Amino acid sequence: MTGVRPLGLVLLEMALLVLLAPLVTGVIQKMKARLQCRQGAGVLQPYRDLIKLFRKGTVQADTASGFFWSIPVLVLAATVAAGALVPVVRAGPPAFPLGDALMLLGLLALARFLTAIGALDAGGAFGGMGASREMTIAPLVEPVLMMVVFSTALTAGTTELGALAAHRGTSWIVAWRAADFLGFAAMLVLLPAETGRIPVDNPDTHLELTMLHEGMLLEHSGPGLGCMLLASHMRQIVTLGLVAALFFPAVPADSAGATGLLFGAGAFAAKILVLATYLALVESSYAKLRLFRVPQYLGVGFVCALTALALRIL
Amino acid sequence: MALSVGHLAALAGAAAGLGVSFNILLGTPGRTLTRPLPVLFPFARLSLSVDGLSAYFLLVISLVAVAGAIYGPAYLRAHSPDAGRARQAAQVFALNVFLGCMTFLCCAGDALTFLLCWEGMTLSSYVLVVSDDRDGENARAGLLYMVMAHGGTALLLVAFLALTERGGAFDFAALRVAAGHLDSTTRTTLFFLALGGFATKAGVVPLHVWLPRAHPAAPSHVSALMSGVMLKVAIYGILRFAFDLLAPVAGPLPSSWGWTVLVVGTTSAVLGVLYALQQHDLKRLLAFHSVENIGIILIGVGLAMILWRQDGAGGALATLALTAALLHTVNHAAFKGLLFLGAGSVLCRTHLRNMEELGGLARRMPWTAGLFLLGAVAISALPPMNGFVSEWLTFQALLGGGSRIHGPAGLVVVFSAAMLALTGGLAAACFAKAFGVTFLGRPRTAHAEHATEAPPSMIAGMLWLAALCVALGVAPGYAMRLLDAPTAALLHGPGASAVVTARGPLVLSTATAPSGTDATAISMTMMAAFLIALTAMAWILRHGLRRSPARAAPTWTCGMSPTTRFDYTATAFAKPLRLVFAALYHPRREVTRETAGTPYVLQRIQYAGEIVDLAETQIYHRIERGISALSQTIRARSTGRIYGYIGLVLGALFVALLLIGVIYR
Repeated sequence: MTGVRPLGLVLLEMALLVLLAPLVTGVIQKMKARLQCRQGAGVLQPYRDLIKLFRKGTVQADTASGFFWSIPVLVLAATVAAGALVPVVRAGPPAFPLGDALMLLGLLALARFLTAIGALDAGGAFGGMGASREMTIAPLVEPVLMMVVFSTALTAGTTELGALAAHRGTSWIVAWRAADFLGFAAMLVLLPAETGRIPVDNPDTHLELTMLHEGMLLEHSGPGLGCMLLASHMRQIVTLGLVAALFFPAVPADSAGATGLLFGAGAFAAKILVLATYLALVESSYAKLRLFRVPQYLGVGFVCALTALALRIL
Repeated sequence: MALSVGHLAALAGAAAGLGVSFNILLGTPGRTLTRPLPVLFPFARLSLSVDGLSAYFLLVISLVAVAGAIYGPAYLRAHSPDAGRARQAAQVFALNVFLGCMTFLCCAGDALTFLLCWEGMTLSSYVLVVSDDRDGENARAGLLYMVMAHGGTALLLVAFLALTERGGAFDFAALRVAAGHLDSTTRTTLFFLALGGFATKAGVVPLHVWLPRAHPAAPSHVSALMSGVMLKVAIYGILRFAFDLLAPVAGPLPSSWGWTVLVVGTTSAVLGVLYALQQHDLKRLLAFHSVENIGIILIGVGLAMILWRQDGAGGALATLALTAALLHTVNHAAFKGLLFLGAGSVLCRTHLRNMEELGGLARRMPWTAGLFLLGAVAISALPPMNGFVSEWLTFQALLGGGSRIHGPAGLVVVFSAAMLALTGGLAAACFAKAFGVTFLGRPRTAHAEHATEAPPSMIAGMLWLAALCVALGVAPGYAMRLLDAPTAALLHGPGASAVVTARGPLVLSTATAPSGTDATAISMTMMAAFLIALTAMAWILRHGLRRSPARAAPTWTCGMSPTTRFDYTATAFAKPLRLVFAALYHPRREVTRETAGTPYVLQRIQYAGEIVDLAETQIYHRIERGISALSQTIRARSTGRIYGYIGLVLGALFVALLLIGVIYR
């Protein structure tokens, strides 16, 4: 078991996540490009995009209400707050409790809800379509994510992510039981849905027939769009961090001090890289599903998660 | 004049209620306030008795009543300016009777007071339901309400009279003694009779069909009271019966009780939100959400019943489950009241309830829109509002229960946690739709275009409830102290604050682990402060770095000039979920096209779609058809001659006497 994480460390970890979030997207894009035999943009391209957007002016829909203005800010704040709940360099509960896995999912849901509200505000059909589809997929993903969290929480007796990771300890696949495998399988099914990637969503296109999340961002521009993009990078790394905390081995307890923290950060980067590679592979080898096939796809995750839960309890 | 005086009276009553409830909830633990009432009947002594549970529900009633009393006069004046003084007086009188009956019902110390208040509550709310607009639909809604409510009252009467007959008196103390001698079959039968009666009032699926019709028909602040408070009175009844009146002297409750309540609650939560999703009438949508939230409360209640007096650490878990249910009771009262008042402001400014005809109100009614959004976030169980807190507690209780109860039963508990998660997600989808279509985009009709902000007193009423939502969301730890008395009074175990706020009022924590070592802890206060700081930083990131130019431009609609027709409608928004859950909705749609000669030139296109409520088609329509068929048969047999009927009456009397003779031989 590792010790508690002081508040300073929690804030540091959150800042680290914000700084690294665009990089993960850049790495995935680069891997996709190489898998598709393209050169692709550099891994730092998302940072350049963000800097460009934050320096630009804003064009706002003339029908939009006062809410529209504040939505990117609120969405970014909620997503970054979710980032504070993910253990990064060290496992163990925070010294002062902030939130657990349910709070994390709640904050991500809040960001999604506000994004959908913003999409409806401009009064265009694309925004409405994106919001409608996103809010159709989300209620189907959330309960399954929750069930995966429950299936791990049942043995650990807590839903706090740092404590869950500490309970998982340094044990790796050899110590897994059937329920762990099934829960992990469910998580792998859900990952593309929660990060807005193929086969559920397509982050590279603004074609109205294929998009979910991007459709909701159409009317945002300049710094507002920058906030929304940073929020979606952040959402991705937070989701990956959730999977890492639930299923991957934690850094051992005796690695305190600066070297220990560096080691922890390196281990976290490795875990995220593994999951990012998975996402890039899936995106390059599958086509996007029709919207009404997505519930069936998510059904596979649901069955896995339910079986994992059943195995834990029975 | 009559309006102001009447609502002032309601406000005074609510203030008195608040005083009494705080006195009990914050006073000496275990105190019960008892007062005899004037002797009205020779055969029974009426009395009031306020213990922790009564005081808590009194608090819920009074909190919403304050908002209703502030909001009411301006609403009634603005909504129906040409209403006669007689109608206004009748409405205000009925409102006061309604509030009074609910208050005294929760404080009743004997069965007769309880039943009289129960009936008064039903009758006065019926008057309010049919008082608003005199059209056929309201009258039909009222009739259905009357029939269903009295069916429920009949069940309650049987349950109460069976107890009073055994106890020889009406007061609850005598009933408790009488219930102590019951055998387990009779006890369970009586519980299910009472549960049926209360569930009808609470609008539990499948007894909910009256609710989405009757609640929207009433004036909006009465809808807020009916949805936010009247349903809770039924929850009070269930708690009073299960844990107090009918509970065995020692040992756990019969397992069938808790499991029934848990399963029924889960079903209500999921079906309630699914049907709400497909409603386009704003108030009707909110009414369906009441079905959902009652379900969530019942999940907590059911779990508490299952775990109560179980061996081991079940006691703390039962307290946790009951705390979640009671906290959700006040939370739902706050945000549902707020949402109904918001819908009422829209209604009185536009005279429209159909979302498809609204739109663009956020620019015209910014206060109403902002407060409605706040309520929407709260009801969707999103942090940092109050809905999240009680659902978090429910999740923790379910998780703890699941790890303690092994086997298939434990799986049911955890599965209902998954269903609760589904409910939350669907509620968020529903309120993205409700808020987005009603308040955002362009106005779709002239009524919506010319809407103006609601009068200040109506906004004040909403602000009161919004402040409650924020306070209960950001600092729930301080409210736990109010939950000590009801949980201790019912469960005779540790109070709510001992279980949930063991680490101080800023932290909510649970000890649900099988070993009891690891606890999950969150801090809503800390998270709220954190969110505010992050919002400020994001604001600086967006605006502070560089003064970037901003300009307005029309929405992008592929080069066409944008009109109202580009706005996504509520029907379109909910369509994907309508298709995903088609098995429950049986959606039907009719599209008629009028073309000019060739099918490529459309002149007119007409769309009609509807979904069915499974409970209605599968149960109620069958009952209706059965009754019709039966009466047709009787009509064919009836001769119309008077001596034939007299013979029937004599025969019935003879059979009845025979039966009595056999039973009381």
